[in-house]
Amino acid sequence: MIATTPVASEAPSNQRRPGFLGWLLMAPMLLWLVAFVVVPTAILFVYSFCQRDELGQVVYQFSWENYRRIFIDSDTGQFGTVYWTISLRSVIYAALTTGVCLLFGYPVAWFIGRAPERRRNLLLTLVMIPFWTSFLVRTYAWITILSTEGLLNSFLQYTHLISEPFEMLYTPGAVVLGLIYNYLPFLILPVYGSVEKLDNTLIEASFDLGAGPLRTFQRVILPLTWPGIVAGILLVFIPAIGMFGITQLMGGGIQPTIGEVIQNQFLQARDAPFGAALGMTLVVLFIVVFWFTSRRQRIA
Amino acid sequence: MKTIRLLFAFALLGILAAPLHAAPKKKAGLNLFCWSEYVPQEVIDGFTKETGIKVNVENYASNEEMLAKLLAGGAKYDLIQPSEYTIEALAKADKLEELNLANIPNIKNLAPEFTKMPHDPDGKYSVPWMAGSVGIVVNTAKVKTPVKGYKDVFDGSHKKRIVVLNDNREIVSWALSFLDHSVNDITPETLEKVKPVLKEWLPQVKVYDSDSPKTALLNGDVDLGIVWSGEAAILFKKNKKFQYVLPSEHAHRFIDSLAIPKGAANKENAEKFINYILKPEVSVKISEAFPYTNPNAEARKLLSKAQLENPASYPPGDPKLETFNDIGKLAKDIDKLVTDLKGK
Repeated sequence: MIATTPVASEAPSNQRRPGFLGWLLMAPMLLWLVAFVVVPTAILFVYSFCQRDELGQVVYQFSWENYRRIFIDSDTGQFGTVYWTISLRSVIYAALTTGVCLLFGYPVAWFIGRAPERRRNLLLTLVMIPFWTSFLVRTYAWITILSTEGLLNSFLQYTHLISEPFEMLYTPGAVVLGLIYNYLPFLILPVYGSVEKLDNTLIEASFDLGAGPLRTFQRVILPLTWPGIVAGILLVFIPAIGMFGITQLMGGGIQPTIGEVIQNQFLQARDAPFGAALGMTLVVLFIVVFWFTSRRQRIA
Repeated sequence: MKTIRLLFAFALLGILAAPLHAAPKKKAGLNLFCWSEYVPQEVIDGFTKETGIKVNVENYASNEEMLAKLLAGGAKYDLIQPSEYTIEALAKADKLEELNLANIPNIKNLAPEFTKMPHDPDGKYSVPWMAGSVGIVVNTAKVKTPVKGYKDVFDGSHKKRIVVLNDNREIVSWALSFLDHSVNDITPETLEKVKPVLKEWLPQVKVYDSDSPKTALLNGDVDLGIVWSGEAAILFKKNKKFQYVLPSEHAHRFIDSLAIPKGAANKENAEKFINYILKPEVSVKISEAFPYTNPNAEARKLLSKAQLENPASYPPGDPKLETFNDIGKLAKDIDKLVTDLKGK
């Protein structure tokens, strides 16, 4: 380490190619990526062109059948299937979730990032405390709150705000609420990261030059925190599309989401190849979303 | 420092948000792969105390999950707990060891109707653990009209007040029974007939839940349910207003059994465990914790009157019960049918 330090100070680090030590430091990350991203994706890719046997084991026999089932309706022979409707519904849920998370998460992240340094740790811990309980326990807590004879309805009836309990649980609204609750921290944290780095003098300069608060936000703060916002959007939107636990528990599974359908393929239907094909299609969709947002980022 | 703090926060979030799955252990002793909430800890401890054999337990939530893990990982498990149609499928594919009945003398305690059943006609591969049925639970405080079968549940007067199992094969089997077909009469033609029935039924459902359908009933979110008899028995124990009815059409009986997967390392220990749970005094403990139908005739003699009179555990009269056959690749068509109807 001591030997490399002077070298590093001689040349600008971004122009240097990583040396042996650099690769060594990268190795765990690369191994992680290969073992848990590249290999599983490759397996899914191969499975998606296979078939299943009687017991649900994968038979390695090339076929387009799984992709045909996703894109072409077998009854009418037309382009467009129920999986599109289901995917669209999942995307709408995820988009709503991301929008609301951004609306509530950005001010929170701003507040934490601008708080006195010694208080930031405490505030960040507060954001994460709910995650110290298991996901299932938290979701069941929501079920207890929202059910017909649950805490919220009992409270509203007790205070005579409503006379009849109204149905909150097992509705699309409950699904989005559950998603927001679970993914909000994933938006707050990256935005917080970019808010914290924000140079106060730039904001002061903007005010000094005559810009109002709105203009300063638009022209200075928003562009500077944009990377955090993009990271937050990706961290919320993409997992929210594939989520199946919340939609099943809080939505009652009435209108399945694409995550539920994929999960069903691997368990109930024992049709891993079809599940893999659905998964691969989603991966392609994610890549498109990622490409789109990173292009927007460059323009901004 | 700032970056470190942020990284730390993410790491914490990641660790806590992701459920961790323990890898199955490969130890001597007994590697038991069983349903969650089905084998009382008391029984496992008792077995270890009597035989000195350590038991490693791993759980699953459905036959399909068990199959997926069993087939993916070779023979890591010594004893599994599949339902009847899964035993049939596994035996067909030569994935089960034949039991050495000389090591299981307590098999004589089983009631005769639970031996040599259609899914294992020679009784070579499996020993029943508990049997149960799928039937209708009625909250009689809310539903005043008599409910006798599926046709009453879905007659249109209980719209959005119904919970059903989130299990496509189950759902299809109810419609088949309603049409007076056997639950195993699954062909492209019968599925075509099932379609319009389910098209009418499914929009009336409020919740699909296989894991804990009793929750929605207890919370008052629904008034009727088509659920596992064990769930119904627990509801009945909590409040007598939850009445269990076996559908007048037909009902599905499931028989969860113990079986030994091919190539199990500790086959003899597995047989010792099977023999142990067949003891009446052990079997009774299982009945106390999980009030399904006990196939052990000797154990039933030790049950209390209240236990025997719980209609969900021991349905009175002579109900029409059918077990599921293995349907192989048709599972795919069932999945497609129900997904199509639910998705639109």
